[in-house]
Amino acid sequence: MTIQQPGGHIAIGKSIARLDSLEKVLGRSIYTTDIVPEGAVIVKPVRSTKAHAVIRGIDTIEALKVPGVLRVLTARDVPGINVSDCFGAARPLFSSGKVRCRGEMVAAVVAEDIHAAEDAVEMIKVDYEPLTPIFSPLDAVKDGTPKIHEAGNVAKHWKVRKGDVEKGFRESDIIVEHEYVTPTQEPAPLEPEASFATVENDGSVTVVGSMQNPFYVQGMIAQILGWSQDKVRVIHAATGGSFGGKSDEAPMDTGALAAIAALKTRRPALVAYNREDSMIMHSKRHKFIMFYKTGAKKDGTLTASECTLYADTGGYASVGPLVVMRATVHATGPYVIPNVKTDGYCVYTNNTVAGSFRGFGEPQTAFAAESQIDDVAEKLGIDPFEMRMKNILRSGSVTATGQTLDNSVGLEDCLRRVAETVGWKKRESGKSGRGMGLAVIYHGNSLGPEGVDRSRARLVLEEDGTVTLRIGLTEYGTGARSGIAQIVAETLGVPIDFVKLSPVDTATCPDGGGTFASRTLILGGRAAQNAAEKLRTKLVEAAAARLHCQPGEVKVQGGAFSEINAPSHTFTMKELASDLAKRDEPLTVDGEYTVEAVDFTEEKGYGTPYLQYTFGAVAAEVEVDNKLGYVNPLRIVAAYDVGKAINPHLLEGQIEGATSQAVGYALMEEIVHNEGEVLNANLADYYIPTSLDMPEITPILVEYPGRVGPFGAKAMGEPPIDGPAAALVNAIFDAVHVRIRELPATAEKVLLGLKPRAS
Amino acid sequence: MSKHLLKLRVNGKDYAVMVDSYDRLIDVLRDRLGLRGTKEGCGTGDCGTCVVIMNGKLVNSCLVLAMQARNSSVTTVEGIGTTERLHPLQETFIESGASQCGYCIPGMLVTAKHLLDENPHAAESDIKLAISGVLCRCTGYTKIIKAIKDAQLRMKS
Repeated sequence: MTIQQPGGHIAIGKSIARLDSLEKVLGRSIYTTDIVPEGAVIVKPVRSTKAHAVIRGIDTIEALKVPGVLRVLTARDVPGINVSDCFGAARPLFSSGKVRCRGEMVAAVVAEDIHAAEDAVEMIKVDYEPLTPIFSPLDAVKDGTPKIHEAGNVAKHWKVRKGDVEKGFRESDIIVEHEYVTPTQEPAPLEPEASFATVENDGSVTVVGSMQNPFYVQGMIAQILGWSQDKVRVIHAATGGSFGGKSDEAPMDTGALAAIAALKTRRPALVAYNREDSMIMHSKRHKFIMFYKTGAKKDGTLTASECTLYADTGGYASVGPLVVMRATVHATGPYVIPNVKTDGYCVYTNNTVAGSFRGFGEPQTAFAAESQIDDVAEKLGIDPFEMRMKNILRSGSVTATGQTLDNSVGLEDCLRRVAETVGWKKRESGKSGRGMGLAVIYHGNSLGPEGVDRSRARLVLEEDGTVTLRIGLTEYGTGARSGIAQIVAETLGVPIDFVKLSPVDTATCPDGGGTFASRTLILGGRAAQNAAEKLRTKLVEAAAARLHCQPGEVKVQGGAFSEINAPSHTFTMKELASDLAKRDEPLTVDGEYTVEAVDFTEEKGYGTPYLQYTFGAVAAEVEVDNKLGYVNPLRIVAAYDVGKAINPHLLEGQIEGATSQAVGYALMEEIVHNEGEVLNANLADYYIPTSLDMPEITPILVEYPGRVGPFGAKAMGEPPIDGPAAALVNAIFDAVHVRIRELPATAEKVLLGLKPRAS
Repeated sequence: MSKHLLKLRVNGKDYAVMVDSYDRLIDVLRDRLGLRGTKEGCGTGDCGTCVVIMNGKLVNSCLVLAMQARNSSVTTVEGIGTTERLHPLQETFIESGASQCGYCIPGMLVTAKHLLDENPHAAESDIKLAISGVLCRCTGYTKIIKAIKDAQLRMKS
């Protein structure tokens, strides 16, 4: 760990234990299904059994006869607007008219207990008239293919245009062209989706659930009920992981379904997906089919890049258009390339819906880009490290979209450190089946071209002198809220235990935007810092009044306010809080922060998409069994330019966890769709890494402060998942000269690559 | 659906409850005894979040029928430590940052306690093997393994 020890910071840069661990190690009842009220009815979704069909009728007669069944809900039970869609208005809560994938909810059973509900689900008969289904995005974009949505099968197209690629290719000494395919990846949070709803005495509805974004859920439920937003209250329960699966429509679906059932029965209603429901119905990572053409001079200088990306978004777009935007912007990898042409297409098929998943398009493109770079390097006889050193972005470089970078670019530092730490120069490629590979990534921070990025925070000074932080950004494992508390403590000049985090409740917290896009610490942190600065000013003024001095003469330390020249004259937060209360001064302070607008647009395909980037480099070492094809990941060394490490321990945790998801992506994870049906919707047939599958991970943090985040911090929730799969695949090539262009790199694929040599 | 009388000991306390033939041990623990520390991540024995110690062995409580646990002694995460007296594993899990979303933590703690009670000198490879039955999606296992090793040292002294 190579971090400069911060001089004088009291909370920034400290690996303070996160604030929510105690209740978790004690096994407290904090998750949704732990706290559901007694007597709640159970609601189970009925999923579509066709990938593309018209619904002629739904027969619920037999289902209603099952003892314990109370209701069967369908589209006609939606009081307001039958839409549950993050991005547009095409995806219904209950299927209506047509189904476009097997993850759709056609109906739902409300029953006294889970057994009655499950029995009744089996008895629902849906009369489908099948339509021709489409399962590949390459088929979906062809002329004459049946339309899944009226407006056509391309939900969105993004582009990057810089320079003249044809000229660039003419000037190349070498051109390398390949197709790359990445699989549908399942987020697999250990806790499946769940929500329960209760109807209050005043007729309003309270929904408690497992989710990332309570305010988005509140808005959608209100719309579905046909109510104003203030009649719906959403409370965030402890959430057992998400990674994007609970960022999109799934919590809206479970919350709205629970609300409708609660209103119909006048009892609390619980919707708890089982693992199968969860894996079929929630958002998964887009499968990408990518065509990359890369040109370079014989000395390794990159001259041109042409990329075409097809993202399989399934029957509905969800946030697919935004995933494709990020992928398109970053498609080339973090390199200086004068001529760039990238086209990204978000395409409908009749597979299950793809949406948010950590990385958001970048694990896909990093795999392709880093494989290309290694391939060009190999053909030119250049070492992969040298190839990258020659072309990577540095301060003042111009990116693929024409943006000139400032001095917050730690990429070279990251690359040098991982190469050194893994022992790159000393590697013996192929010896004992071992090999090493490299990958570099960049990850634009905050929403960028997705839209205005604004966050809000509220600080309440309590009578006992502690401070309660009310912020609408949620905890589902990241620890970012603890990091924000550290920022507040630092800014106020108080010990960390003076800062309390209030639960996230739409009734009491300001809407700070979604807890996604790795924006929590940087945007939420800036908003909280803004509020803390204002509160500190008030407290200093109150202290100055008591001390009969100027505010500039007040010193704040350890939660005590004293006069610089007379340090024995001290007042505590509690005393000052009481002063302010007596004077009827408000003890609540609001803060906010908005990121400056960017100028990269859909039409231009050029400009500045993000104001700062997290940079990273990954080195992987593998051992390949050349008889079985099995790839054993030995080590991953990963360095990230984090801007400023607010809490090094929490950052390591993010790197280690994201790396495990990338190891799975590289070597073993794949949702298998067959005719639109998910064949492996369980954790026995979908493999996520166990403790025995993991390499040794060495995280390295470097700091090149950026201009967006608090104290220069950069986003770190997602970037660590982008690169390791690419590094592993490059390591496989180094070990056994097998080039894997379709993930996951299973033993079967490696063996097939080794086969020709056997004969 | 016939009802049966189930008698069992959980975390040192004796219970007698009426159960249906299809009730599982996890249902008894969570819904009948109010011990909701044990989690249900899959219901099919694949994820380990429901792991408890039954008669000295680790079992997936989602795969044990309630009546199969009759006259048994069961330990859940609630039996490992309390706020007033945390088990060394609970201390080290907090200190190491081993808990992120927390959902696998009860299963991890029960598994780790079982391992260290049976094999106080467990090597790192034993630890990795022991916890391979509990999936974690958040941490990559690194800090969980460190926490278990730290607790092991603490328990020896």
